[in-house]
Amino acid sequence: MSRSHFSRSPRGNQDPTFTRTHSHSHSSSNPINTLGLPSPPPNGRRSSMGVEVRGMRRLEQRRNMEESHYLACNARAQNYNPPVDLRLLDYVSSYDNNLMCAICRCPFVDPVILNECDHCFCRACIRQCWNTNTTYTPLGPRGDCPTCRTPAKLGPRSATSKILVNLVDELIVQCPRKDDGCKAEVRRCEVQDHVNIYCGYTLIECTGKDCTDPVRRKDAAQSCLHYGASCLLCHKELQQWKLEAHWRSECPDRRVHCEMCKSPVFHRELEMHNKETCPAISTPCPGCSSRNKRGHAEAHAKSCTFAKLAPVLLRQQERLDEQEAAQKEMSRKLEVLEGGFTNMQGILFPSQEVENADRRSGDSNHIPYLRRSLVSPENADADAPTNDFAGFDWNFSAADVRHDGASSAETFQNGMASPPTRAAPAVPGPRPDDLPEPFSSDFDLASPPTFPPSGPYASPLHHLLSMHESLRDEMTRITSALSELDGRHSMQILNENLRTREEISYLAAQTAGLQRQMHWFTSAQLQRQQGRSPTPGASGSALGGAMMDAGAGAGVEAAVGAVSTAATALRGAARMVNVGGSASGVGMRRGTSEEGRTKL
Amino acid sequence: MAANKRIMKELGEINTNPPPGCAIRLAKEDDINLWDVTMDGPQDSPYTGGKFHIQIVLPKEYPFKPPVLTFRTKIYHPNVTNDDKGAMCLGMLRADEWKPPNKIVDVLKLVRAVLAAPQPDDAVEAGIANEFKTDRKAFDKTAQDWVKKYAK
Repeated sequence: MSRSHFSRSPRGNQDPTFTRTHSHSHSSSNPINTLGLPSPPPNGRRSSMGVEVRGMRRLEQRRNMEESHYLACNARAQNYNPPVDLRLLDYVSSYDNNLMCAICRCPFVDPVILNECDHCFCRACIRQCWNTNTTYTPLGPRGDCPTCRTPAKLGPRSATSKILVNLVDELIVQCPRKDDGCKAEVRRCEVQDHVNIYCGYTLIECTGKDCTDPVRRKDAAQSCLHYGASCLLCHKELQQWKLEAHWRSECPDRRVHCEMCKSPVFHRELEMHNKETCPAISTPCPGCSSRNKRGHAEAHAKSCTFAKLAPVLLRQQERLDEQEAAQKEMSRKLEVLEGGFTNMQGILFPSQEVENADRRSGDSNHIPYLRRSLVSPENADADAPTNDFAGFDWNFSAADVRHDGASSAETFQNGMASPPTRAAPAVPGPRPDDLPEPFSSDFDLASPPTFPPSGPYASPLHHLLSMHESLRDEMTRITSALSELDGRHSMQILNENLRTREEISYLAAQTAGLQRQMHWFTSAQLQRQQGRSPTPGASGSALGGAMMDAGAGAGVEAAVGAVSTAATALRGAARMVNVGGSASGVGMRRGTSEEGRTKL
Repeated sequence: MAANKRIMKELGEINTNPPPGCAIRLAKEDDINLWDVTMDGPQDSPYTGGKFHIQIVLPKEYPFKPPVLTFRTKIYHPNVTNDDKGAMCLGMLRADEWKPPNKIVDVLKLVRAVLAAPQPDDAVEAGIANEFKTDRKAFDKTAQDWVKKYAK
């Protein structure tokens, strides 16, 4: 190691010339002067000698300066480049186990042979071994052989076979600066020279003026590189001469090759690459329990039945999860809807019953205009509740539309088609998107949306409340319409009754007139009979007359009976009219309620 | 550095070609001087079926000083101390017996051999050694019980 150092020392180069000149002048006269000390001339050649002495002093000074400079340089260089430890080198060529030191497990470095047992070790190894294990012996290095425990001491260098030394020296090693980028592979005996003289990655002193920082030998030809620069990739600030090393081994944005798959990746992505994408890393087969390299996963997939099924299984699993989630939501919805329906039924049940009763008894033709009057004259806000109920699939719509004619149908359909004016009622179909979420947090109340359509709802509680409100409005409206109708109807009936009553009274008057006439006839007949009765001759005739009168009386009585019968019949008719009026009143009332329902 | 190099080398060798029944790894990623060995109990011994956790501490002076070997798993054996240290007494590992050319592989092989054939004359647990010498059956039984109890 140090041998090469000294061989190329500047002093070694310098010394011969110096000694030559010196010895040339003083060789015969004074051997002591070879040390360079000035000495008085022995004879008369004084002048030339004085010149020589002065020149010698200069030379001497120069030599001292150079020597100190060399030593300083050497120290620095040693600091930058510590001597190569041959044990740490990476050996390119394979070597026999017999060339290996038993202690350091490396090819022998400066092998020595123990003079008793002929076991061979590196000199440093055996020294360290003895220094560690045995107490200091003034007789020199001696101790037990680490292999066979024979007491021994180091043999002389000459004892070591030259063949062995050559064998280990011929081994090819990599440059110790290979991590920095040196690709040189040299013989082991030359590696120190390579590092000291040739290796471009060895640090030497900067050639720049007034700069003592280290720089790699290959960069030394350029001007001083000790100025700040920033990495192009990661923008880290550092000195220019360090950039290359930075790119080589530090920069997180540098390209590196994955050790497993040899593909280039960014250093900072290396970890992720190893974890996720590297084809050379084994992963478990999705189907079976075996592990395969990612690169071979396809080949395995071809042979593994489960792997073939894996995508299907995966998709199935995904779908299963999806479905489960959907089902959960649906079941929740269903729960809510069921609750809503029971609520609605509770609210609607009585009116529905009434409607059914009306439907059974009522005659749609009875008061058709009522329905129209209920639907058509509604003001604008009445459309909204109508819309609400249009959502229901109740079974009256078709029949009602048919009965009510075009206008009613139009109103109805308009009501159905018109966009909802309020957010709360649930109408199937397009809804504004700014509604809150279908299922808000207050959703767990037992007042959910009441409609089967699956459109988004406003908060179900709100919806139900608004429904309730609209129902109440409707009810009040129906009530008022009903009372109005009732009044109108009773007026009509009253009018009809009046006319009938007048006719009846007229008839009754005529009947009374007839009665009076009949009375007069009978009384006149009686008077005639009383006038004829005193004469006997008249008795026969009277008898005959009486007989005739009796016949006439019978006829009159029959007439009177007929008249009275007519009167009774009239009275009956009047009664019937009255009864009919009341019946129609009831019917109308029911009709109105039905109309109201229709309108709802 | 040279010692590290040797340890690295040994670790590489032992991982590519592990001794029978042993699995070796570093206890800590960054500490090359602390090895964890899991050793299967050798066949034809009362320790069959057990898995013994052995820790090897390589001193800084390795290979010039012997490694320290301890059983982390309790084992009923005359050559292993029956305490929480579980130190094993191997002649090879004694400071004056240790030879730098010895390798960890050799140590492990020896440990396995000692497990298979206890050395009651070199015992650290005299009671167990005595039992081993006088009542081999009882020793086997206790050893097996301990294996079931601790070394599963």
